[in-house]
Amino acid sequence: MHDAMANDSSVSASARDFAKKRRVNRSAKLKQCKLDARREQWLSQVKGKSCKVTPMASPPTSSSPPVPMPRPQSCLHDSDMVFANHSPTSNSPGKPPKVGCCPNNSVSSGGSTRSCSLSASDGEEEGARGEENSAIDDWETIADALSAYKSRVPPAPVNDSGAQRTMNPEPTRTIPRAWRPDDELRPQSLPNLYKQQSFPANMERHFGAKGWSHPVILSAPSSCPICYEDLDPTDSSFLPCSCGFRLCLFCHKRILEADGRCPGCRKQYSPVEGEMLGMSGVKPLLPFQLSRSYSMGSRS
Amino acid sequence: MLDVSRVQKELAECNKDKAISGVSINLHGGDDLSHLEGTISGPVGTPYEGGTFRIDVRLPSGYPFEPPKMQFVTKVWHPNISSQNGAICLDILKDQWSPALTLKTALLSLQALLSAPEPDDPQDAVVAQQYLQNHPTFVATAQYWTEAFAKRTSVGIEEKVQKLVEMGFPEALVKSTLDSVNGDENMALEKLCSS
Repeated sequence: MHDAMANDSSVSASARDFAKKRRVNRSAKLKQCKLDARREQWLSQVKGKSCKVTPMASPPTSSSPPVPMPRPQSCLHDSDMVFANHSPTSNSPGKPPKVGCCPNNSVSSGGSTRSCSLSASDGEEEGARGEENSAIDDWETIADALSAYKSRVPPAPVNDSGAQRTMNPEPTRTIPRAWRPDDELRPQSLPNLYKQQSFPANMERHFGAKGWSHPVILSAPSSCPICYEDLDPTDSSFLPCSCGFRLCLFCHKRILEADGRCPGCRKQYSPVEGEMLGMSGVKPLLPFQLSRSYSMGSRS
Repeated sequence: MLDVSRVQKELAECNKDKAISGVSINLHGGDDLSHLEGTISGPVGTPYEGGTFRIDVRLPSGYPFEPPKMQFVTKVWHPNISSQNGAICLDILKDQWSPALTLKTALLSLQALLSAPEPDDPQDAVVAQQYLQNHPTFVATAQYWTEAFAKRTSVGIEEKVQKLVEMGFPEALVKSTLDSVNGDENMALEKLCSS
């Protein structure tokens, strides 16, 4: 137990992310090949952009969802190794130095996964502040100052298409703060930060900038056109048909169980693509893969 | 199970711009989300111009993976719509349905069908034959049906309401009852008396 407490902050960050992901059952479908691709994107993005991401998010409030944070590259590798060596359940809730100040974060000694996820989810917002990343501090300062300065100005609706394509605001952005999930005027097409927490939209911009093979990724919808539920990061990177029609994994599975035709072009889903992406069925993942999925999915 | 949240969102989405799109959809009555009623306005430049056509919409439990069942309530003279029971011959309501379609796009497709009849694949053979062999008569008949059945609710509705209100029925109830029987005064009276 003392050993666990002595873990470095990246381990507990992984634990937090793991708990975060646990709440989202869909993440069990995360696929390794996708993750690796994203990881590379993330790594190269963090190198160049970690400071630019900061002004985009809304200031942290108790009602707003946790905001995705870029993490230092070394942290990623550390946690990968941790997850490769230990199963997720063996990660005891060691906490980063600053998380302990969060009053909700009362579980500090429990060794079980349950308490781990409890403390992690309670503390994750505060935990984000505890990251040893100066960019985050800057971000907080900027965000606080922005909201304090412009709180009297009513939020102006942003250009829908612009906001949809790039969540990353330009320096000239006029809106006083980011859209919150409960904003009345919030464009429906905006991605939901809560579910896209670990895969910010500027990642997609990065894909596009590199001439990545799928041009449609830029116009990816934020919600499934079939069930109208928000697409989570896995769904967003799921491209089952060459026509570019996107949908969530649940709807895709349901269609496969029926006539198996793409809703966008009415062609049969190609079994090869479904197999390649591994999304067509519920494939049992090895524990090792699972743990890697969790750790990767939450930060890539 | 019917995807309730999708249907609710569709209702809100469709009715947001009904003035522009010319189609709207509402609950048929009660709170049964699987039984709806759509309306489409007759396309300009067709014999159906100026009419408002009501469509009974029933959502199967598999919706949106199964197509909605749609049928004209308002009588309409059209090769692909039964003049008897309002049944519609349209591929997207059958084998060409896609879950990416919505109630709104389906209604818009019906509107397009009014604009562009397909007499070679008819639902009503009599109408289709007339359309092909005696087009002026077809246009005249379709116009007459539009006038007689698709405009009835708006033309003279005030007088009917006034009449029934004078009989002692509350105005709101009269209006909704008249609406539910497609403006038929006698049927409305019957309904009001029996309720």
